[in-house]
Amino acid sequence: MNQSRNPAAVELNHVEVVAGGRRLLRIAQLRIEPGERVALVGPNGAGKSSLLRVLGGFLAPAQGRVTVLGRSWGTQENASLSGGALRNLRAEVGQVMQGLHLVPRLTARENVILGALARADAMPLWRSWSRLYPAHLRNEADQALAELGMAERADMRADRLSGGERQKVGLARLKLQRPRLVLADEPTSALDPNATLDACRSLCATAQGATLLSVVHNTDLLAPLADRVIGLANGEIVFDVPVHGITPQRLQALYTDTPPYAYLRAPTP
Amino acid sequence: MTSLAPASKGAAQRGRLGFAALVLLYGVVVVVCLASLLAAGDLSWGRNPWDNLVKSVGEFARPSFVDIWFGPERLEYRSSDGTLLRVENRREVEAQFLWALGRATWTTFQIATLGSLLAALLALPLGLASARNLKAPRWLARSANSVLDVSRAIHTLVFGLVLVGIVGLGPMAGILAIALHSMGTYGKLYAESIETLDMGAVDAVRATGASGSQVFFSAVWPSVLPQFVSNHLYVWEFNIRDSTILGLIGAGGLGLLISEAVSLFQWSRLASILLVVIALVTLFDTVSRRIRQALA
Repeated sequence: MNQSRNPAAVELNHVEVVAGGRRLLRIAQLRIEPGERVALVGPNGAGKSSLLRVLGGFLAPAQGRVTVLGRSWGTQENASLSGGALRNLRAEVGQVMQGLHLVPRLTARENVILGALARADAMPLWRSWSRLYPAHLRNEADQALAELGMAERADMRADRLSGGERQKVGLARLKLQRPRLVLADEPTSALDPNATLDACRSLCATAQGATLLSVVHNTDLLAPLADRVIGLANGEIVFDVPVHGITPQRLQALYTDTPPYAYLRAPTP
Repeated sequence: MTSLAPASKGAAQRGRLGFAALVLLYGVVVVVCLASLLAAGDLSWGRNPWDNLVKSVGEFARPSFVDIWFGPERLEYRSSDGTLLRVENRREVEAQFLWALGRATWTTFQIATLGSLLAALLALPLGLASARNLKAPRWLARSANSVLDVSRAIHTLVFGLVLVGIVGLGPMAGILAIALHSMGTYGKLYAESIETLDMGAVDAVRATGASGSQVFFSAVWPSVLPQFVSNHLYVWEFNIRDSTILGLIGAGGLGLLISEAVSLFQWSRLASILLVVIALVTLFDTVSRRIRQALA
């Protein structure tokens, strides 16, 4: 509970996550220091997204203890955080989810402003209801969009944007949230190579002084996004190394030596 | 793979057989209905349907309001021995009728409008409570749902009959009847609009640490508002049609005139009334469709 005793940004102790009779995660020990930039790699179904969902408080562990930014929950103490504590946690944890979720009928700018809802200088309820947002948030949102090359899309409705543009709006929204921990699930999956670099720059700028935990499939992005790489397979940590310790062979082994996908290498009968 | 193909083929075969069985069952139901009515002798056409039809259609084809201009100015009613019983000015009488028709139309519109609005307001909390993805407490969701089901199951006219007994004759009974029945329709439409929401977007806003009411007003409300407005126009439109018959039971509006005209076999007056109803409904239909298209 108190930060002096537990200064890690993220700490997992003997965490097991089960959903629908399937074990999604089993992590004995994981510690991420404040300011670290960590990339999660691993094949589909390895538990990367589940890990992010646990840290964001969207998925409760069946066993073990989770500590994020000084708040603990799990089976040993209070099973899950109370509504208020969970909200406070989420306000400090910025999430870029898979699936490019924006509020469809709001404009790009309005979606970006939603990132600031839980900030201390947030607006009263009537402003978000009437969509009359304060000028400083509008300016901030416009600037965040401009940094991602989206200045002229600010007034376009979110459901008219392309997949890549939505992803950029999501990143701009993250920036307005000013998180202390960033959980990014494939933050550049819908972007072209050029936009990917912009997005990484934006993500790193947002995560300046914060902790960044991202799920990455494109190995070229490991260096710009991470100092440390964690390999997951079947819900367990396979390796945990500094980014310069990553070799193509290591990744190759991680992505192919996973039983559910082993048949891909099997000779055809 | 090889084991899947025959199984799915068998499933398709079973599906087709099942559909044939359903069609057969439907045929049996229709035949039973028809045969039992025939056996009871209840399928009769009346004594002289053809003459009645010709007479009614003939009068119907000449709506009464044309009498304002073309009616006899001095219409004499005499008894069989020639005594003058009554004289009336058709034009004046029809002008009065048309005035009454106009007022009744306005009442009908008032009933539909206020009834729909009341229903929309009453249904809002119930719809929110019964939408599955908003995760209201189960007892609340279930009771909201059953209130909506009951309200949908009971026809406006039945509500009207009961309410006339409670609040007396007049538009108040009509407004409440419309409100109580439409509440069920609204609640269901509200819940469905909310259930088709992209919950990912809602979760994304929740993930920023926003409070429940912030999430509702920033992510849920803007997405469902256009659908709510569209639903409102649709039900309102429906209620304008529905409220034209509420007068039949004394709940105010056009229905009273309809029931008068039918009881006195005044088909030409009925024709006038129906023309007004058709004009009203068509007009509202067009306007509401325009608005709904603009909202999409």
